[in-house]
Parts: sequence; structure tokens; C-alpha cells
Amino acid sequence: MDIIPQDAPVAAAPGRTAHGLTVRIRTLPRPDKALLNLLFGAALLALVLGLAGGLLTALARAGALRFYSDDAYRLLTLHGVSVFFYWLYLIQAALLLALAAAENGRGLALRPAAWAGAALMLTGFAVSEWISATGTPLLYDGSPELAVDDPRSVGVFALGYLLLAAGLAASAASGIATLLQPRRRGETEEFGAVGFALFAWAGFLIVSAIAATNAFLPGLLWALGAGPFPADHGTEWHILFHNLHYLPLMATVLVWYVLTEHLTGVTSIHGARLSKIVFAAYLVFVPPTSLYHMFLEPTLSDGVRVVGSLLSLFVSVPTLAAFAIIVSSLEASARAHGATGFLGWMRGLPWSNPAMANMGWAVVNMMAGLTFAFVLIQGDLAPMLSDTFFVPGYFHLFAVGVLTQTFLAALMVMLPALNGGPLWRPALLARMPALVTAGLFLFAAAGIAAGTMGVPRRVFDIGYGGLAPAAWPVLMALVGIGASLFAAALSVSVYGVVRTLLSGRKAPATDLTAVAWRVEPSRIGTAPAWTGPVSIAALVAAMYVFTIAAFQLIQSLPIAAIGGGHGH
Amino acid sequence: MKNHEILLMLAIVAVWAVLAAVYAFVPSLGMPGYVRVWGGGALLFLLLAAVLALAGQGRSAGETPRS
Repeated sequence: MDIIPQDAPVAAAPGRTAHGLTVRIRTLPRPDKALLNLLFGAALLALVLGLAGGLLTALARAGALRFYSDDAYRLLTLHGVSVFFYWLYLIQAALLLALAAAENGRGLALRPAAWAGAALMLTGFAVSEWISATGTPLLYDGSPELAVDDPRSVGVFALGYLLLAAGLAASAASGIATLLQPRRRGETEEFGAVGFALFAWAGFLIVSAIAATNAFLPGLLWALGAGPFPADHGTEWHILFHNLHYLPLMATVLVWYVLTEHLTGVTSIHGARLSKIVFAAYLVFVPPTSLYHMFLEPTLSDGVRVVGSLLSLFVSVPTLAAFAIIVSSLEASARAHGATGFLGWMRGLPWSNPAMANMGWAVVNMMAGLTFAFVLIQGDLAPMLSDTFFVPGYFHLFAVGVLTQTFLAALMVMLPALNGGPLWRPALLARMPALVTAGLFLFAAAGIAAGTMGVPRRVFDIGYGGLAPAAWPVLMALVGIGASLFAAALSVSVYGVVRTLLSGRKAPATDLTAVAWRVEPSRIGTAPAWTGPVSIAALVAAMYVFTIAAFQLIQSLPIAAIGGGHGH
Repeated sequence: MKNHEILLMLAIVAVWAVLAAVYAFVPSLGMPGYVRVWGGGALLFLLLAAVLALAGQGRSAGETPRS
């Protein structure tokens, strides 16, 4: 089987080298580098806190640790707040600013807004962590119904997220201004695919800030005695939560675009315009697909439920389209270089580079996660599964396997360029994503099976006085083993990134393995590139199989579901 | 042409505005928050489309693009 040498020199495209990203980051102004280091460091701190809380929570769910009820919910709150909000949104703000500054080539515009945004987000981080550690545990959605007699906890918790939202909006404003600078200087009249995606993503960040304000301002006003009790918090949370599904996925696909070019020299063979349409499609599909979050409302009419089910089928269209563009571009370029074999062409990718390894395994996790996401969002299954361990079982494939590994991949490329030091032990880091994925698959398989058999979500004592099915503790023990494995491997990756962040200039940075697959357009299409379409077909087939399996298993159980309020 | 970027932004505006209108004019849906978020988003993306158009005008009134 022919493959492409991994040590081939990296191609230099006209006006832009394959290492252009790192060159541009390396030459950013000093204040921008300081801001990015601050945001990357804070994001990693949030990840470490969330990882620790998550591991303890998983061990408690597995029965290996015992906590008093309040302590268990406090851990769960700290885990969710740290990872789902502060890791994912601090890193997105930092990546937006870094990539926008790199696109601009001259650093950040509206720098005071960017710094103000960072100050607001970090203040929100401190406020949220403090109230989560000391107040009534509200879980990550901050439901006021859990603290009707403790308005202080509700108000301070809401304040933390409102500060985060304000900071995101300020950071996005700086990102937008930065992206527009080349136009204002007369250097270009349109964005490239990445520039347009960054522009749209920045707008989406601001919309998410609006959604967060819509969800949490009433809680703060109630706590201050300036408004009624936020009885509609669940509905307002659904809107924010829906945005928060798409936002990091859009960021992930954008990072894949950037890293694919950086690691292989390949840009879309379908042209920048199609890529822009796909990125715009993320935003086009956001509002119409939001209805499925309401499937848990028992009062939802059948008509709305049917429409929501149909629209939910569009939920992953942009992500799959972007995946197909990237994979077909890579495969067509590899085959133009002479690579053969149905999947053999992939062996030529620079897998010894930990950024490539993280990105590649993130794609594997995405395919598995999407399969079960489609199972969950179907109208007849959602009420039965959404309050079970099925939900954490599948969404960790996304949160850890896809999002976190992708953002760590970006940091593994950017931090050495930002600070001038080498990436810590790249050979070791390149092995971690496979271990993370192995742990995640065990966690997900056991968790999804447990959820399908009725193990509840967010309940720490599931013994039910000895009446629980015998399979439950076995499956939850496997959940704990899987969580321990992926947490340990992910900790190594995080440690390596933190060491790289703190390394300064103790040793010269070296560019890691990359390949040069970029070819002239006339050489594209000489051999068919089927991997992308076949992968999507396999995903659809798997979705059908697991949906049928879930229906049959649930119908064999002596249960009935009528909807349970708020699931996520 | 940069116009396709503005058209894409306007497509986003149209979808978000229609959804906001649906939630606003069908009170039985009972979700006013959707009107605020999708409506606010529609206004924001309309603003961004205008910014793109103005940035292009500023350039065309000034110098010739170098790339």
C-alpha cells in the first residue's frame, strides 16, 4: 500500500506558507500575546478544575466514593460550571482572538475591548466558582427552583454567567473589528473561508451572550428584589442551551479547517465560497432546530412535536457538510500524490504530531456521538431517555472527545508559537488521544446502556433499597473505569499543554511533523475520494440500527414515560 | 465578490427574523424568550451585514485592493 512520506517538506503556497499560522502568531504584538496567554491559562485552569470534579463525580456514581448529598451536587455543579461554561467559552474567546489576530496579520483591533472582555470573563469565573463552592448547589443550569429560599445563591450564580456573557460579547467585538481591518486598509475585498467563519462565529458568540442575559438576568433581578421569581427559567435555559450546542461545534469545525491547512497544506478543493455557505448554514439552522429541546414538556402539542422531529434532522447538517469538505479535500489531495487504498491514504497524515492525533480521534468521537445524539432527539425517545444516564453517556463523546481534544490540538500548535518554547514531549502527547477515546467509549457504552435500562441522571444513590436491577451497579462501575481512563489520559495532555504554556523561551521551538499535500487543481479528481460520503452513510446506518435497538430495549421494559419537565 | 458574504448574512437574518415573528405572533407557543433571542440575533446579523457593506464601500472609495 502506497503512502505519502510523513517527513516531506511542507509546501509553500503563494503568499502564505503552510506554517503561516504559527508565523503570524509568533509575530503578534506583545500585549496581544500577554492577553492570549492569560485567556489560555484561565481556560486550562477551568479545564483542570472541571476534570477533577468530573472524575470525583464519576467515581461517586460508580459507587467507589461516597459523598453526602449536598457535597455530591456541589461537585457536579463545579464540574459542569467549570467545564461546560468556563473551559469551553474562555478557550473559544481566546481562539477567536488568536485566529482573528493571525488573519489580520497585525494583531488585535479594539484592544481595550478585548482586555475588558477578559477581565469580565475572569471575574465571572471567580464569582461562579466561589458561589458554586459555598452556596446552594444549583447545577450548571442555575435553576432558581432549587434555591427558592436562597436568593443570594441564585443572584450571585446568575451574576457569574452574566459577567461571562458580557466578556464574550466584548471579546467578540474586538474579534470582529480585527477581522475587518484588512478591508479597511484596502488589502482585500472579501474574507477567506476562515475569515468569514470567524466573523460569523463572533456574531454567534454575541447572540449567545444575549441568550445568557435572557436566561439569567431575571434571576439576578429577583435576588435583588427588583423582579418576580423567574418561573420560566427552564424555557429560557433551553434557548441558551441550544445555542451552546452549536457554538463550540462551529468552533471545532473551524479549528479543523485551520489545523488541516497547517498540518497538510490542504485547503478546500471545493472553493472558499462553499465553505462560507457551510459556515453560514450553522447560523441558518440554529433557530429552526431548537424545538427538540421542548420534547420533555408534557404539554407540547403533537403538531409541534412532529414539526420539531422533522426539523431536528437538520441539526448536524453543517457539521457533516464541513466534515465531508475537509475529508474529501484531504483524500483527493492525497490520491493526487499517488496514495492508494480505501482508507490507506490516511496513514500518510502526520499522526506523530499530537495536534493531528487529537484532531483525528476527535473525528472518531464525533461520529460515535452523532449516532447517539440522533437517537436521543427523536420525539418518542427523548421523554424516556433525557433524564437518564444516556445523556452524560453520549455527550461526553462530544464535550471531551470532540471539543476538548480539538481545542487542545489548537493549543499544541499555537502555544509554542506564542511563547517560543517547544511542545512538551510530543511523542507522548500523540499517544494520549487513543487512550482518551478508549476510556470514553467504555464510559459511553456503559453509560448509554445504563441509561437505556433506566439508570437516572444526577442521582447518586441508585440502590433504591435493594430494588434496583442487578445490572445497574455493574454498568456504573464500568462508567467509573472508563472515566478514570479518559481522565488520566486527558490529564497528561493537559499537563503537556500547561507545561508548554509555562515553558517560556527555555528552548527553541521546533515545528512538528507535517506533510505537503497541496496540489494544483488540475491534479484533483484523477481518483475518486469516497471516504467522506461513505462515512456519512455509515453514520446514518448506525443511527438507524441504534434507534431500533433502543426502541426494542425500552419497549421490553415495564416502564412508561409521560415527560418530565426539564432534562438537560 | 464580497456581495455573496452580505447575502449569506442576510439569509441568516431572514431565517432568524421569521422564527422570531412566529414566536411573537403565535402566543400559544408561550415562549417570549425565543422572540428576544432570535429577534435580537436577527438585528445583530443585520448590523454585521451593514458593517460588511460599509467596510466594502470605505475601501472602494479609497485605495485599490492589493490582494
